[in-house]
Amino acid sequence: MLINEFGCLRKGDKSVLVKNLRVPDENAQLDASKLLYHIASSINARLANAYTAAGADETLVIFDCYNDEPSAKDHERRRRAGVGATEYKLTLNTPLPGREAVMKSTSNKTQLLRLLCTYDLPADKILLVNHMDCIVKHEEADIISYMLEAARGTHHTEVAEDVQSVKQFTSELIVEAVVRCVRVINPAMGGGLSPLLPPGMSARFRVGMSLAQACQDLGYKGEIGYQTFLYSNEPEIRSLLMFLVEKLPRESAEASDQPAGKSAVLQRAIAAQIKAQLALPWLPPNCRLPLLCKTQSAGPSLSFRAQPLSLPYSTKSTGKTPPREVMEYRRDVLLPVTAQPSHQGAMVASLLQQHTAELSAAQEWDSEWNSQGLLSRLTPEEYRSRKLTRLHKRIKEQLRSASSDPSQESSSGVSGSSSDLAQLLLSFQGSAPGDHLLPKGTHFTHTQKFTFTQDPGVLVQQMAAVASSMPLGGKSEGEVQASQQEELASLEEKLQQVALHIDQLTDHMKQMNLTVAQVTNELKDRELGNQEKAGTRLVKKQTVDLLPDAENNLAKLQMLVEGSAQRVVSLASQWEKHRTPLIEEHRRLKELCTNQDMESSRQLSEIKELHEKIRESAEKAKKKETLYKQLIAELENLPKDVSRSAYTLRILEIVGNIKKQKEEITKILSDTKELQKEINNLTGKLDRTFAVTDELVFKDAKKDESVRKSYKYLAALHENCNQLIQTIEDTGTILREIRDLEEQIETENGNKTVANLERILEDYKAIREENIALASKVREG
Amino acid sequence: MISLNRFSSTECHRLCHQVVDGLCGRDPPGRDPPAVLDHGGDAWSLGEWRELTQGLASLFRHTAGDDCSDEEVLAGLRDVSPGHGEAVLSVLRARREEIRQGLLQRTHLTSSSTLQDFDWQLKLALSSDKMSSLQTPLLTLRLDVREEGRLRPVAIEMSRDELHTLISSLEAANKVVLQLK
Repeated sequence: MLINEFGCLRKGDKSVLVKNLRVPDENAQLDASKLLYHIASSINARLANAYTAAGADETLVIFDCYNDEPSAKDHERRRRAGVGATEYKLTLNTPLPGREAVMKSTSNKTQLLRLLCTYDLPADKILLVNHMDCIVKHEEADIISYMLEAARGTHHTEVAEDVQSVKQFTSELIVEAVVRCVRVINPAMGGGLSPLLPPGMSARFRVGMSLAQACQDLGYKGEIGYQTFLYSNEPEIRSLLMFLVEKLPRESAEASDQPAGKSAVLQRAIAAQIKAQLALPWLPPNCRLPLLCKTQSAGPSLSFRAQPLSLPYSTKSTGKTPPREVMEYRRDVLLPVTAQPSHQGAMVASLLQQHTAELSAAQEWDSEWNSQGLLSRLTPEEYRSRKLTRLHKRIKEQLRSASSDPSQESSSGVSGSSSDLAQLLLSFQGSAPGDHLLPKGTHFTHTQKFTFTQDPGVLVQQMAAVASSMPLGGKSEGEVQASQQEELASLEEKLQQVALHIDQLTDHMKQMNLTVAQVTNELKDRELGNQEKAGTRLVKKQTVDLLPDAENNLAKLQMLVEGSAQRVVSLASQWEKHRTPLIEEHRRLKELCTNQDMESSRQLSEIKELHEKIRESAEKAKKKETLYKQLIAELENLPKDVSRSAYTLRILEIVGNIKKQKEEITKILSDTKELQKEINNLTGKLDRTFAVTDELVFKDAKKDESVRKSYKYLAALHENCNQLIQTIEDTGTILREIRDLEEQIETENGNKTVANLERILEDYKAIREENIALASKVREG
Repeated sequence: MISLNRFSSTECHRLCHQVVDGLCGRDPPGRDPPAVLDHGGDAWSLGEWRELTQGLASLFRHTAGDDCSDEEVLAGLRDVSPGHGEAVLSVLRARREEIRQGLLQRTHLTSSSTLQDFDWQLKLALSSDKMSSLQTPLLTLRLDVREEGRLRPVAIEMSRDELHTLISSLEAANKVVLQLK
């Protein structure tokens, strides 16, 4: 069964394994049943090609043997066998009925295999092995294949040649296989294990122990120890290998090779659709039927171009009604949203963009408010304005630092180079953007723009003034021209004079303005000085008035001072009286305030927690909802009637079987009971009759000589009969023992005990030799 | 600006709204002057038309950007008849906020090339010329970049890993922006 084109075995896990083992391509094996999956048309046409395409030196085609025995693949076969798989009668020239029909029905499959086996293939290269000749079962074939692959992966080619079943595995092969499997299943665990058995006996023992430990760590439940690997017996090895094969990773395989579930169905549908479309011929656009237009035309390839929209609510009015002009604009001029974009394709894009922008802004604000805004204990408006001022300040700083220090490259990292920023500042001053971008030109361009935009108006005015002052008359053209020239010259002169005059006047005015400002300043200073002087003069005048009656006035002054001092003292005491309760009140309020602060912060944190919880539970609810939907969909997709009725039928059958068996058992039990009763009856009867005869004969024996003789015979007869019964019973027990022993022998035979014992003996000798060698080494050392 | 008088008042109203539309990123009034002859009987020359639309646009920009009062606006329109001035003023009042938003938008685009639009498509590569079953998702990202006034489309196709690197670098950039705030 060797075809190197595929280089893989039946299931995806095999290909994974093959990849992991790095099997060389030449002479790799292929399961023929896999091949069946790839044959689509008539058997005749494709089969030979498929097989010979291998190009390997020798090709061995082996088919599964479909036994009636239970096998580990049963669930797989049952899964494949769907409802309504009809049976076909296949001959060499019938077209194949389709892959599903063949693969789903075992009888179709066996028919096909039989056909294939009788098919005349190039005999020198391909050797067909009929499935009837197979000696190994499907899963065993798997295992052997692994072994062969594993062996080929290393340099043990000679080992693998004549291995045909698990029975023939050697310890080396087993250890290697198990180690490789463990490595694939769990690379970390398998890393420390060596696939080669070391020559030394003690080392082998250790390898066996560690392997057994690894298998137990992987979850193997059966008995396992070093003896499993070194002194193997078939059932143990088989169960261990099957366990490991089941454990091999197969997710990728499930996805690629064993499609199941929704995605696979979808992919198959896609593939079928594409295939159907590829099968149709291409037609030029004019010849297309409407059916083809859908699939063959390029389709509407609208690119996503968004334009800003104007929506009535988007301009943020803070609660109050918008001004009248805005209302009028919205009512009369503003187009509906669908008519606003320049082309129809941009409408959806613009709407989507508008919506996303608003939504994301709202979300961002929400999250920021929940995280920082709540903590700052401000109203949203205050928070916003504070943030705005902060940002303004920051931007101003950045710009200032960038513009004031043009030599220094921008350290802020906000924009490119500082010279760019300076230009940016200039353009802000100009605030006259170009067509689409802010102009990055110099100041010169802006001034240019200014002159262009403002001068025309002035010029036009001047022109109008000139035109109105023109005299209209019937003079001849030359005169008119000359007079106009003269006038023009004089006017220009005048204009120049006037301009000069104006310049002078403006200069004068500036000077005058300056002097006026100076004078007013001086005036203010003077007035201030005057006020001060008047105050000092008043004080001095009063003291001078008091001077004549100095003594009295002094005493009065002293009295006054004392009185006021006393008043101050009394006021102070009064103040103290008022102060203490006030201070206490203040303290109390302060405490209250801090308490409230703490309380509010606690509540804040609670609110935050609640927010978190709400979000979490919302997410959870969403997840559960989706899960629920998924499960519902799965449930709907499940074939309800089939499996349920089949299972109930099977259960009922089993129950019926059990009932039958129970009846039989009770029958047998009652039989044995009856027998036992009969036996008891008979023995009782025998005993009694014997006692009676014994007594009778004994009585007569005293009188008659011949009767005495007969009594002796009676006694002997009784004894002999007892012995007979005893022997029969003994034979029964011995027979039972023999049966037991035979069973035991069978099981022991299965365990290769003799060979293992011989090997154990040999190994024991080897260990002893090793020990002796070691001991001698120690002695020498 | 005086050529505004050649329109009737309602026409002037409509024209002003169209100019503002152009400022906000939608269709500006066309490059060609209206073909109809106005009241005076003269046809529009191309230069006059351009001057008028650009003058109006710059007027709206200045007045809305600098938050000018009505008098200042009327001062800029002193050679236009009062009815037309009033019309311009009403348009400005109605759409001041919108113009401001448009100008802000434009100020955001400070770098030499900016992202105008983006679009993405998720594709599933079913198979290739080498493999019968590929099942690899691919993301086609289309960026419309405005570079010195012209649109330049950029298309990138990414596998899952490449997309992850792109997203992580974008997230890092977003973090920097958030720190600036």
